[in-house]
Amino acid sequence: MSRACSATALSGRRPDAAVRIENRPPAEGINSSTDNPLKELAWLLGGSLAAVIALVFAVSLAAQWIAPRTPYKYEARLAASLPPIATAPDTDQGRAVQRELQALADRLAARMQLPAGMQVRVGYSDSKTVNAFATLGGQTVFFRGLLARLGSEDELAMVMAHEMAHLQHRHASAALGRGVAVGVVLSVVSAELGRGAAAGVLSQAGLATTLSFTRDQERAADEAALAVLAREYGHLGGATDLFRTMANLPGADSAAPQVELLRTHPLTRTRLLAIEEWARRNDVPLDGARRPLPSTIAALQGT
Amino acid sequence: MAELIQLGIFLALLTVGYFAGSMIERRHYASIRKREREYRDVLAFMVRFPFDRTTPQRAFLVHGTVVVGADYFKTFVAGLRNLFGGRFRSYETLMERARREALLRLKAEARRKGSKMVVCVRFETTTIASGWAPAMEVFAYGTALVPDDGSLSLPEPRKGVSRLLGDGLVRPPA
Repeated sequence: MSRACSATALSGRRPDAAVRIENRPPAEGINSSTDNPLKELAWLLGGSLAAVIALVFAVSLAAQWIAPRTPYKYEARLAASLPPIATAPDTDQGRAVQRELQALADRLAARMQLPAGMQVRVGYSDSKTVNAFATLGGQTVFFRGLLARLGSEDELAMVMAHEMAHLQHRHASAALGRGVAVGVVLSVVSAELGRGAAAGVLSQAGLATTLSFTRDQERAADEAALAVLAREYGHLGGATDLFRTMANLPGADSAAPQVELLRTHPLTRTRLLAIEEWARRNDVPLDGARRPLPSTIAALQGT
Repeated sequence: MAELIQLGIFLALLTVGYFAGSMIERRHYASIRKREREYRDVLAFMVRFPFDRTTPQRAFLVHGTVVVGADYFKTFVAGLRNLFGGRFRSYETLMERARREALLRLKAEARRKGSKMVVCVRFETTTIASGWAPAMEVFAYGTALVPDDGSLSLPEPRKGVSRLLGDGLVRPPA
């Protein structure tokens, strides 16, 4: 250190007022930090991720709550702008099966409180997938693979009532609203990511087979379906038959990919118990006379 | 797939930014500390007037200027920091290095011109780029002093014009 390089006066007129001047090396670690910047990155990333997750969660809950409460006409308008989903193969058999399914849906609709303006349209798909689904605009689709395994109209009515309950509760709207809202939030974080998420949801709405419902929504649909079944048939035989049929499907344990219904609707023991509990609570018999399947649908047996 | 590629590019840039930035920073600090020892006999002060106003001095402007740029890692961390607030640690070291470097360059110029004393040192910064590649200019300037040995012949001032003497005092024309 060069100390006191000049010991002359601060003021030229007062040489006695001496000042010792020196330059010292700058103190380290005051104006800058020696912390590892990776630590800071980890904290900041963790914090922002937590914030985004919390926001996405909150927005998705809010959207899921709001979407089913918007007037149905908006959902209908959106569905009308997409290619129709509830279609049937353009064959005599396809049209006949669709007619029978539509007739059953219309009968059950009279026993449900569907949103004003909702016209349930049932489609039929000649595919071995064991599934049925409900989607935007009052549309629902049944696959041959499912129809071919049903033993009575009661079982079919249970599936139909379950899907129609999804329509009644606007679950497709909720799922779509949730997806779009999450996409919008993500677009704030990353335009690309958000656009991808929103576009993904909307294109899925176009195909509409992949709108996923929550466990609560499935439970609500089950309960509503049981009420319809009780009113239409006077017993819940269709529900218990359906779940036993499904549980006994080959590959039911591993939930084989073609058995979509099992993957999306886990057939747990608790679900059967819930049926029995519901029957007890509402004083509805669990068993009764089954009605046969309409002949066109019965003809699909084993195909 | 496109998202994965984007994420990959982003992570690669972040990694390159971190390792390159850390290495450059380490080397720069080492170089700064070494030169600060070398230039410790050139004194720089913020005072407006020379300490020694009894010896005739020659005074001239010296300056040092540095342009620093942040690496991808620093910019990303600072971007996240923007959400939460607090110390922008990643930029603090950057700006500290820039100021110390600018002062060293000022001292280098002063020494080359024979001065061991610079007063009235000031710093200025200018943003020259922002966004994903922020860069700043740090500019240090000051008045270097050299004891006047009389070898420099000052031109006679014109009549009525003040004569600026090396001691920084303006005296009326004789």
